[in-house]
Amino acid sequence: MLVIRGLSKTYPNGTKALNDVSLEIPAGMFGLLGPNGAGKSTLMRILATLQDADEGEARLGDIDVLHDKPAVRRTLGYLPQSFGFHPRARADRLLDHFAILKGIHERPVRNDVTESLLRQTNLWDVRRQRLGTFSGGMRQRFGVAVALLANPKLIIVDEPTAGLDPAERIRFLNLLSEIGQESVVILSTHIVEDVEELCSRMAIINRGEILLEAEPLRAIDSLRGRIWRRAASRSEIPSLETEVNLISTKLLSGRSIVRVLAESAPGPEYEPAEPDLEDVYFSVMAGHHTRAQFGAGTGAAS
Amino acid sequence: MKFREVFRYEIDHLFRSKTTWLYLAFVFALCFLMIVGDAQPGHTIKVNAPEHLAEIMLVMGIVGLAISAGVFGEAAVRDFQSGMEPLLFTTAMSRSDHLGGRFAAALAINLMILLAAPLGMFTATQVLTVEPGVFAPFRWAAYAQPFVLYVVPNTVLAGAIMFTAGKLTRQVIPVYLTGIAIGVSYLFASAFLEAIGNPVLTMLADPVGVGATDVVTRYRTVAERNTMLIGFPPTLIMNRALWLTAAAAVLVALHRRFRFAHPDSDRKRDSQTAADRFDTQNEPLRAKPVEVPRINGTFTARTTFAQVSAVAGRSLTQIAGSRWFALVLTACVGLVLLFGWNAGDTVLESSVWLRTFLVTEAVLGMRAGPIPYLLIALYAGELVWKQREVDEADIADATPTGEGAALLGRFLALALIIMMIQVAYMAGGILLQALHGYYDFELGLYIRTLFGMKLVSYLILAALAMIVHVIVNQKYVGHIAVLIAFAAPYGLLQTGWVQHNLLLFGRAPAWTYSDMNGFGPFLAPYLWFKAYWASWALLLGVAGALFWMRGRESALKRRVVRARERLRGTVAHVGAAAAGLILLFGGFIFYNTNVVNHYRPGFAASAPQAEYEKRFSRYADLPQPIITAATLRVEIRPEVPSAELRGSFTLLNATGARLDAVHVVLDPQIEARALQLDRGAQVVQSGGEIDYRIYRLDRTLAPGDSIQLSFDVVFQPRGFGNDGAQTDLTASSAYFNRGWLPFIGYQPALELQNDDARRALGLPAAAGLPPQSDTSAARHTTVRNEDRVTVDAVIGTTIDQTAVTPGDLVRTWTEGDRRYFHYRTQQPLPFGATVFSGRYAIVQDRWQDVDLRIYHHPAHTYVLDRMLRSMKASLAYYTAHFGPYQGAQLTIVEIPRYGRFGRAHPQMVAFTEDNLLTRVKDGELDQTFFGTAHEIAHQWWGGQVEHAMVRGAAMLSETLANYSAMMVVEKTYGPDAARKVYDYQMDRYLQRRSAFPTDVPLRDVEDHPHISYGKGAVAMYSLREAIGEDAVNVALQRFAAKYANTGPPFATSLDLLAELRAVTPDSMAYILTDLFETVTLWDVKAEQAVVQGTAGSYEVSLDVVARKVRADSVGNETEVPMNDVVDIGVFAAGAGNQPVKELYHRMHRIHSGRQTLRITVPEKPSSAGIDPRNRLIDRNRKDNTVAVTTQASPGQ
Repeated sequence: MLVIRGLSKTYPNGTKALNDVSLEIPAGMFGLLGPNGAGKSTLMRILATLQDADEGEARLGDIDVLHDKPAVRRTLGYLPQSFGFHPRARADRLLDHFAILKGIHERPVRNDVTESLLRQTNLWDVRRQRLGTFSGGMRQRFGVAVALLANPKLIIVDEPTAGLDPAERIRFLNLLSEIGQESVVILSTHIVEDVEELCSRMAIINRGEILLEAEPLRAIDSLRGRIWRRAASRSEIPSLETEVNLISTKLLSGRSIVRVLAESAPGPEYEPAEPDLEDVYFSVMAGHHTRAQFGAGTGAAS
Repeated sequence: MKFREVFRYEIDHLFRSKTTWLYLAFVFALCFLMIVGDAQPGHTIKVNAPEHLAEIMLVMGIVGLAISAGVFGEAAVRDFQSGMEPLLFTTAMSRSDHLGGRFAAALAINLMILLAAPLGMFTATQVLTVEPGVFAPFRWAAYAQPFVLYVVPNTVLAGAIMFTAGKLTRQVIPVYLTGIAIGVSYLFASAFLEAIGNPVLTMLADPVGVGATDVVTRYRTVAERNTMLIGFPPTLIMNRALWLTAAAAVLVALHRRFRFAHPDSDRKRDSQTAADRFDTQNEPLRAKPVEVPRINGTFTARTTFAQVSAVAGRSLTQIAGSRWFALVLTACVGLVLLFGWNAGDTVLESSVWLRTFLVTEAVLGMRAGPIPYLLIALYAGELVWKQREVDEADIADATPTGEGAALLGRFLALALIIMMIQVAYMAGGILLQALHGYYDFELGLYIRTLFGMKLVSYLILAALAMIVHVIVNQKYVGHIAVLIAFAAPYGLLQTGWVQHNLLLFGRAPAWTYSDMNGFGPFLAPYLWFKAYWASWALLLGVAGALFWMRGRESALKRRVVRARERLRGTVAHVGAAAAGLILLFGGFIFYNTNVVNHYRPGFAASAPQAEYEKRFSRYADLPQPIITAATLRVEIRPEVPSAELRGSFTLLNATGARLDAVHVVLDPQIEARALQLDRGAQVVQSGGEIDYRIYRLDRTLAPGDSIQLSFDVVFQPRGFGNDGAQTDLTASSAYFNRGWLPFIGYQPALELQNDDARRALGLPAAAGLPPQSDTSAARHTTVRNEDRVTVDAVIGTTIDQTAVTPGDLVRTWTEGDRRYFHYRTQQPLPFGATVFSGRYAIVQDRWQDVDLRIYHHPAHTYVLDRMLRSMKASLAYYTAHFGPYQGAQLTIVEIPRYGRFGRAHPQMVAFTEDNLLTRVKDGELDQTFFGTAHEIAHQWWGGQVEHAMVRGAAMLSETLANYSAMMVVEKTYGPDAARKVYDYQMDRYLQRRSAFPTDVPLRDVEDHPHISYGKGAVAMYSLREAIGEDAVNVALQRFAAKYANTGPPFATSLDLLAELRAVTPDSMAYILTDLFETVTLWDVKAEQAVVQGTAGSYEVSLDVVARKVRADSVGNETEVPMNDVVDIGVFAAGAGNQPVKELYHRMHRIHSGRQTLRITVPEKPSSAGIDPRNRLIDRNRKDNTVAVTTQASPGQ
């Protein structure tokens, strides 16, 4: 269990990246959802010991995450949002190198670990290739292999699916889904589907503040019967925005489909719609709902 | 984007960059400080003299390469590194706009930065308050000319090359490497271009312009240096134009080669990527589930060890695995060959056998010495930055690896890189030796030097470099900061503010390797100091671990907070241990340098001499008894080391009056256990660091009466000083003289000579030697009150050493593990009491009744036969022409190479090691032969004929010894060999004369080797050419006969001149006036030579201009009428490789001004000239000959 309380971080240029963030993250996959610039990466880097918080605290079990960095690192797997590797390095050698850095210093053990990780990430056949020749997805999977070394209790994966093609993305999510359930796994993303597919718990963050902390299924449930949709022409949308709680506007086969949050059908042209996590996300982002309205989630009370 | 926009964007970017202004501040500060450092009274060249300003700007040009590498490297590589390149390359911008704009902007900013150089210098001259006379009046041209002539073109050239390297390789490392290469070529150009025979070619081949300038300014006098601008000499302009064209060519080549494209697309090797090979599209969406062993990391000392090794190994492969590194190592081998090719060439351009210590010292240590420092700076930065540059740092930073392990691993990688460079150096050195035909490689010495002495220094500096990079945390600024950190100790030392090696990072006393002594006495102090600095390096390492950049928080405040957090556990313990070691080693060193020994920085070292002069110079002319006989019992204990000197002097009252006191002076290094006269005396004065004792005799000493002074003194150095160790007495050798024995009476020779030191210690400027007319001074030679002494000496040393001193060897025996040698002189000789001891091999020979011996280091057998030949030839010539040799033996003894000299002692010559390593290649002069002949000539000049210590003294010793040796060379090897000596001495005179504010006539020479040796040889040889060898020898023989073994009073230069004048016809007497009695310079020039005539008889009409000037004591030159005998020559071109053939060569009377000479020669001439062999003292000797032109027949 990772407990975060009152975490704040302001950059020297005045940007408030995190504002009094509190979360309780149990073992299992936790999705951190938010638009670009919401503060996700800052939070992730603070948890990964690479940045310092101005205020607040974070504890992973017994470990004081903010002040006992060496202890965090011993049980941390981290895949940064953007990273590279020395392009001339060979995959197997580099993984072996990181295995040593992570404290697996006995060669036979290390060989077992690196081999199984390379197989798990489906990189075994290209293990002798230089990393400079890897595709984006391969590199990302290699990053996960590095993150999974030495059985980490806290795994932080920052925006891993950005820039991957659909097949690569699926492969990557499949890989993440296999990560053991006894670790705390935090997946930050701005793609709602990532969370929908993988996470048993989630939080939505924007402008440095946690807007929602919930279980995705229960959050969706709480919207059941309150989502309505209709087709609309482009010129209608501005007036709709003032009239109803417009959540999202999507193009479907060249037509705009608007989705609206309402206790009952706002008009005859609306039809009921099955809520999904995107509705949760957009309604929270649009400010139509506060976290209390979703009423779920263990950490929401604080 | 068009060129203008690219340029403007770029300029804007650079203007906003903090780095630009840091560079600028650095250049400004450095130039400011260089002026401040040099702005001290007493320099003959003014601090802001045009030439000095130009020099500083040239130095800045080399230092500025590091800045240019940053500016141009960044401009070239930025897009590749930031990943902007695909964006940029898809815009509509043309290649020329992109390249041109970038380059022009970088150049403009670089020049702006360098503009801080003249600005810094100018500011320094304005704000400093100094004594009048330190600065010359301000002239803006003195600043502007070097900037335009050197800084601008050199920056364009260097920038073009670096920019091209960066653009084509897309990496920064090659930019810095080309920077180093350019720097090396600068240094090489300034050091070795002279080797190119053709002066015009030399000027053009020099990429910096320094050589081209030197050719113009080398013989300028001090007055000219202070006032004359560099100007715009045509060859310099041509040189600059040539190299600017080269820069343009480089840029054109870049434009042709450079493509806006992804680097992989034009590299076939990598075209098949792993992604292609591994068909991503058909990869299963879900891999087969694999059970990953759940292995936790374990964290013990073994883990740390493994982590350090892993970081070291990976860092090393990243750098050493790149092809640039292979290039660097190859270049190191190449540079050793390049820099070392003429390593053996010494004076007179002769060669030596390339013993390993010469390679490790001259080539690897000095000439190629800066390279490792630059590579250390470069690779330290690379190791600190690489992980961040490839964006791998976040992952690595989040691993449980300690900061110390990350840093130590990288340091070990750097250490291994340095060792690889050392291996390359060693390979280069061995190759160099082999190519010079020398095969005794002494691998052990290579290893001890390169992987011992040198590596220790490099590792300490490597630690500094890494820590500076860690702390500065900005790569390009870091490089500059590292160079500053490296240079700071030398700079501080230059200023004189800080002198103690405990305060100058990384420094230790200098050391010299000698075949005779090995590292000898230097090793221990060197290692103590290095241990001290290694402890500091360790402490720096701790600081590095504390400030090691990890994660994203780079604000200083955060770093300090983090450092405080990290200061615990192992890091804190290591820090404490390092501090302890610093105190321990530092304390021990301080005890040695400041407690056991006196620590006296700078001029304070001369305080005892100053005190001595202030207190006792009033006794200088006090009549004293003289030493006539000495018995010595010397016990040399090399293993301690110590030397006990016991014995007695017989002191004779040779004055006409009764003497009531004896004054005894002792060197401060000597401890007197007992000093006693054999008659009642009261010590009325005693003490001072130079121990000055006055014994008042109870009963005065009558004229002709004598007393005995018995003494028991000991030389036993303790510990080591800040400057290292004494070398007079070491475990393997000893070379000392009467300086350790008591002197009788005040000795002006012990006075402080250096004028700056005298001023600093409150003494008036040195009076210099008294004039020849000072008859009381003429009663003394170098050391007073001991003109000729008979010596009976017993010297004991260890059983494996041989002791030598002047005199006949009476007996030798052993007592226990010691050997004793008993020497006795047959007749009174000048008193040197020179003692040698060492593990010598001996060769012996005879010349007539004289035993010839050479005591030498067993491995130094290269010159023995040539030395013996010279000994015989010298004795033959000198006894035939100057007078008999006095003595039954002539001995040469080799001494360790802590200097480079030959020194004559009665019946002996001491030569330092280098003199025994010479070899003679085709066309070279046998330097050892000449040097031996010179020193043996001193048996007459300076030995038999002692000179009075008045002006012109050196003319009686060095001038005559040089002339005598030239004659022996001429008799043995012919006139061409003697001419080589002549040319060398002429150049020595003309070049060195420009370093002195005034020139004095040879007759009045004091401490001016360029006059006594250089001009002296020229003058004597010219006189011989004019009046003949026999006439000169008659004069010398008469002079020797008159003054040998007499005195006081002793001979002066006027006495010699009188003898020379007696044999010189009136028509040639002007030579004595011009060359001996005044400072006279000639300027002759052949203007044109026209030939007429047909086969068998060609008439050359040669127009010459001649001028003769005389310089007064302050350097003002006035023309004097000339009517001198001068060589005229006409030459025919040699066919193919044949040398030029002399068709006509005769002396003509030449008067001042223009005149035409008509000469008929039998063959078709090619050139003609006046003084073609450069016998006249003529600063411009290049215009003495002209090509002959054919005149069109009249009437056509």
